[in-house]
Amino acid sequence: MATAMAVTATERAVVEEEFRWLLHYEVHSVLRQLQDILKEASLRFTLPGSSTEGPAKQENFILGSGSTDQVKGVLTLQGDTLSQADVNLKISRSNQLLHFAFREDKQWKLQQIQDARNHVSQAMYLLTSRDDSYQFKTGAEVLKLMDAVMLQLTRARNRLTTPATLTLPEIATSGLTRMFAPTLPSDLLVNVYINLNKLCLTVYQLHALQPNSTKNFRPAGGAVLHSPGAMFELGSQRLEVSHVHKVECVIPWLNDALVYFTVSLQLCQQLKDKISVFSSYQSYRPF
Amino acid sequence: MRPSLQAVALWGKKAPPHSITAIMITDDQQMIVTGSQEGQLCLWNLSPELKISAKELLFGHSASVTCLARARDFSKQPYVVSATENGEMCVWNVTNGQCVEKATLPYRHTAICYYHCSFRMTGEGWLLCCGEYQDVLIIDAKTLAVVHAFTSSQSPDWINCMCIVHSMRIQEDSLLVVSVAGELKVWDLSSSINSIQEKQDIYEKESKLLKSLNCQTIRFCTYTERLLLVVFSKCWKVYDYCDFSLLLMEVSRHGQLFAGGEVIAAHRILIWTEDGHSYIYQLLNSGLSKSIHPADGGALKETIYPHLLCSTSGQENKQSGPFVMGYMNERKEPFYKVLFSGEVSGRITLWHIPDVPVSKFDGSPREIPITTTWTLQDNFDKHQTMSQSIIDHFSGLRDGAGTAVVTSSEYVPSLDKLICGCEDGTIIITQALNAVKAGLLEGDSLLKDSSPHKVLKGHHQSVTSLLYPHGLSSKLDQSWMVSGDQDSCVIWWDIFTEEILHKFFLEAGPVTSLLMSPEKFRLRGDQIICCVCSDHSVALLHLEGKRCLLRARKHLFPVRMIKWHPVENFLIVGCADDSVYIWEIETGTLERHETGERARIILNCCEDSQLLKPELVLPAASETHRHKSVEQRSSSSYQLGPVPSPGLQVESSCKVVDNESFPRPFKVLPVKTQWSYVGFHILLFDLENLVELLLPPPLRDSDPSSSFYGSEILRRAKSTVEKTMTLKKSRSACGPLSAEAQAKPVSESLAHGDNTNKFAEENDGIRRQKKMKSSKKMHLKPPRKVDANLTIDTAKLFLSCLLPWGVDEELDYLCMKHLNILKLQGPVSLGLASNEDHFSLMLPGWDLCNTELERDDSRVNLFSGKVLDLSSKYIATLPNQLVIPRGLENNCDSLQESNIIVYLLSRLFLVNKLVNTPLELAHGIDSSFKMESVHYKAKSPGNDILNISSIYGYLRNGKNEPHVPEADLSLLKLISCWRDQSVQVTEAIQAVLLAEVQQHMKTLRKTSTNSQPVPGVSAVAENGNREVLQMLPKAEWAEEIELQHMRNTLPLQS
Repeated sequence: MATAMAVTATERAVVEEEFRWLLHYEVHSVLRQLQDILKEASLRFTLPGSSTEGPAKQENFILGSGSTDQVKGVLTLQGDTLSQADVNLKISRSNQLLHFAFREDKQWKLQQIQDARNHVSQAMYLLTSRDDSYQFKTGAEVLKLMDAVMLQLTRARNRLTTPATLTLPEIATSGLTRMFAPTLPSDLLVNVYINLNKLCLTVYQLHALQPNSTKNFRPAGGAVLHSPGAMFELGSQRLEVSHVHKVECVIPWLNDALVYFTVSLQLCQQLKDKISVFSSYQSYRPF
Repeated sequence: MRPSLQAVALWGKKAPPHSITAIMITDDQQMIVTGSQEGQLCLWNLSPELKISAKELLFGHSASVTCLARARDFSKQPYVVSATENGEMCVWNVTNGQCVEKATLPYRHTAICYYHCSFRMTGEGWLLCCGEYQDVLIIDAKTLAVVHAFTSSQSPDWINCMCIVHSMRIQEDSLLVVSVAGELKVWDLSSSINSIQEKQDIYEKESKLLKSLNCQTIRFCTYTERLLLVVFSKCWKVYDYCDFSLLLMEVSRHGQLFAGGEVIAAHRILIWTEDGHSYIYQLLNSGLSKSIHPADGGALKETIYPHLLCSTSGQENKQSGPFVMGYMNERKEPFYKVLFSGEVSGRITLWHIPDVPVSKFDGSPREIPITTTWTLQDNFDKHQTMSQSIIDHFSGLRDGAGTAVVTSSEYVPSLDKLICGCEDGTIIITQALNAVKAGLLEGDSLLKDSSPHKVLKGHHQSVTSLLYPHGLSSKLDQSWMVSGDQDSCVIWWDIFTEEILHKFFLEAGPVTSLLMSPEKFRLRGDQIICCVCSDHSVALLHLEGKRCLLRARKHLFPVRMIKWHPVENFLIVGCADDSVYIWEIETGTLERHETGERARIILNCCEDSQLLKPELVLPAASETHRHKSVEQRSSSSYQLGPVPSPGLQVESSCKVVDNESFPRPFKVLPVKTQWSYVGFHILLFDLENLVELLLPPPLRDSDPSSSFYGSEILRRAKSTVEKTMTLKKSRSACGPLSAEAQAKPVSESLAHGDNTNKFAEENDGIRRQKKMKSSKKMHLKPPRKVDANLTIDTAKLFLSCLLPWGVDEELDYLCMKHLNILKLQGPVSLGLASNEDHFSLMLPGWDLCNTELERDDSRVNLFSGKVLDLSSKYIATLPNQLVIPRGLENNCDSLQESNIIVYLLSRLFLVNKLVNTPLELAHGIDSSFKMESVHYKAKSPGNDILNISSIYGYLRNGKNEPHVPEADLSLLKLISCWRDQSVQVTEAIQAVLLAEVQQHMKTLRKTSTNSQPVPGVSAVAENGNREVLQMLPKAEWAEEIELQHMRNTLPLQS
């Protein structure tokens, strides 16, 4: 350990020089890299307003589950909005085929995508405010910037990876159920959300619980996906979920976006680590 | 920190970091409020001459502050609301630094506007909030609960900024917002108040796409009621408010980013940029001309041109991060227009904007000079005597060259030792109280030189973390201490022999924290040490085995959480990116690595499972944990990411201290700061505990005449208060008082302090107390270890810190002579807690913030000018015929000294309790005052004030009087009155202390000629009841009173 004590002046100078290089060049190169990656990510989200070529393009997704074809959905996504939806439901008992579609005048905003997009643009904005002309003077400055960027990126990612946990009454009263034509029968609930890179559609079939039912009524809490048997109270009626159908479809660009988030988060952390390495030198305190 | 604790901060030479993220000037232009990335708020005094001085720092938030706003009509209540990155909201009273209301909502706000419409709404008004969620939330300004929301029918999105437009012309208030996508939306505000209260959906009245992104500010010109200024990061635009047609657009040059703007007069606007520049423009109307937009069909349109009048001069060193700026237009007298900015570096700059800004004669822009600029560090530099660090005086002993920078510290309560790791690798161990005294008090040079301290030399780099294992698990050896340094070296010390027991070399970067496995978790019978290093690795050390058990090096992100699985021998590591690593300790292999949902489940289920003890030692970890519980509460929650940047680590460590097993009168709380090495210490005095410890044990003083007159009575009376307050009437409490004193759990005082609705909580309170007792049992076994000398020294130090020195020279002298307390070197930085999590600390130089106080250098530590006034009022209410407490005139010096000290402390304790009593309860007290004189005997359960006042009686006269003297009642009334007049606790305490000291010293100044014979206990006996009591030994007497009391109250209860 005596060697550590005897950090010579030249060594110290080298370390300082290295740190200066890190602040003036390396940081900016990482920031540029980050910007490039996030630009790619935000392109996936097709920011409205920034695109001059008019409304975002429409993409159709066919949602189905591999095993059964009881529920089939064709959802049309336009940026962060669900512009059209066609849901086909085959009721196994009666072999009845039900078909619902969005009303012409209605659109549904996917809050998760909008939030993720907004978080990315916030992160981008943070990075653009420190362009090449900006000179970082302390390591702490870089650390704070990275923390702020990482916060936005983590939130963007978490928005996509953690769908809202809703209670059944919340699903029932949500605007989504009111968007269909013909209107959804009262024994059906529909929910649409993003889970990771997938667009998910869940259809709940319900049946009313008799008021004098011997079943122990216990309302279900919030969940991303409720299971059959979950009970709830809507108005004065007690209902129970009899069947749950979940269909999903991968949105390729969401997959890309998630990868970009992970990569940029790692880049941020690596830059933070590089800065912190210099904190171990007593001679130079980047904080 | 509990409100009953008194805190004093020892700041040190370096100011804590305060990276300003939000700034505002209060409406009375007397104070600047800033919020920081570290999570604190700072209150800065703004003098009429526009001089700035930092006054106090407000603690309570655990994440970066995002916005600040007024939360009430400021002339009525000086309240400010703050919101943070993780959804915390707080309403602060900025005149005394108290937290008035707090809430944690799953929303991150970026802007808040206060709205109140006195003739249409009841209550305190609304906070209109926008941020990282759709549309605008309406939050009740008083309760901080979500009232309702303004919703968009068209393209709902996050809102960037907003402003409230009060239009005189149409007598209607509107809310104007700009969304992230650049859409301007207008909601009716005043006309939708009713619909909001009825929770109907409120949709926007108008909306228009502005075709620019990153809107920073929207402002309405109140002078013309016509123009609308909208500032985007790349351009600023002026719109016609009537039809939202674009009148002017100015694009930024040289890559400057605009940050905000304000209309300062008719056709005159101020625009500022992210890098701290600002420009004043005159808008020139060039009359009607062809539209600048060909799309409008070439209709005739008026156009406006900006003409640059002035710009403000910036700092010498440009580019110190983003600036947050604001502009303040109103001031009745003298009228100031102020542009203010706060920087990441913590600097505040003010520009006085002239009423009529004009350009130079040649038409070129004039430069407006900086009026004032100030930082927190300036305060520290200016008031060096106040910015004493706890070990400053030792550095002088060692080499005399510069002071040692403390990089980590740890307080060991059981030994009253403070362990400080320094930047140069030495570790200093001192007696905490001595160190503090040497730091704070004057003329104690002897103490300074002789104060025993040990210097451990073993590290070659700065010491980054310390751990005292015995403090966490009493089974471990008292002499052990573990320290880690910058160079990844961990040393196991014997602090008694100053010996190095072993050195571990981890080679993993600086050791960021040292933890110990919980008591439940043992590896072959021993607990193990866990080192978290800055390269994100975790190492497990077995001390006795002198070996490293595990090196977990695969983590890509910083470690946030460590958990132990005792059954399977797993170490569960949670990282900042929400991934989880599970390591097998025996083999040192990585068992599993999980991310996303599954990782979250693993961490959560660990908490539920009984097998595991969640070890939330890292403050960040506890923070995210708390955070999660918030999310779970609201079912359709908005997911907030973990906060990678916790602020100062005070909060969690405060809790640790609070949970400490047995109460101590004095503690040192080391505080570390984020993003910097700067740390400071907070001294915590537990007044209640101090009083208890100072009273001699009951069995020893068999001779009542020689013992301190009031001690017994006080003790008994106090315990009566305690009992009635917690409504615990069980007889067990009447057992040996020494046990009682120890058994009094820390949180008990809290329980009755907070009990606003006692009757409802009665059962709960008892249960809680019982639980507390049983859990405390094991800690009761060690005998009272607090040294008597230590206690009396603590008490003296405490009095020194509270006394206003220099008010009266003679008084100072008498205090020093008779009370044997020392004068302060400078004013102390007192802390004030508003509840468990929220407290404020005064900053060096706070004493210069009292504008009403005339400059007087001889006065030190006078909290405010009010104190003298209050104190004289207090003296005036004191009974004229001064009854000299027994024991004052005939006993030996030291006993007399301690008697007075105990007397003073118990007084202060009462004042503290009275002033801290919640208002709801206080009303009960007030009403009880009225009936008190009439029906004194008719005690009703829970009528605390009777008890308080009767102790008061005991205290004043040292004798047990059947009824409370009128004078004392009036004193009580006076103090309660102070509370209603929102006199601060510290002011009240100081005023009472000053008055009492003056009163006592007056008797000392007089020769003992008028010392009247003090009536013995027998003289007290005025009715038969009491006579019987008098014959009983003292301890039983208390019981008797208690019983009697119970008899009185029981029928009422049933």
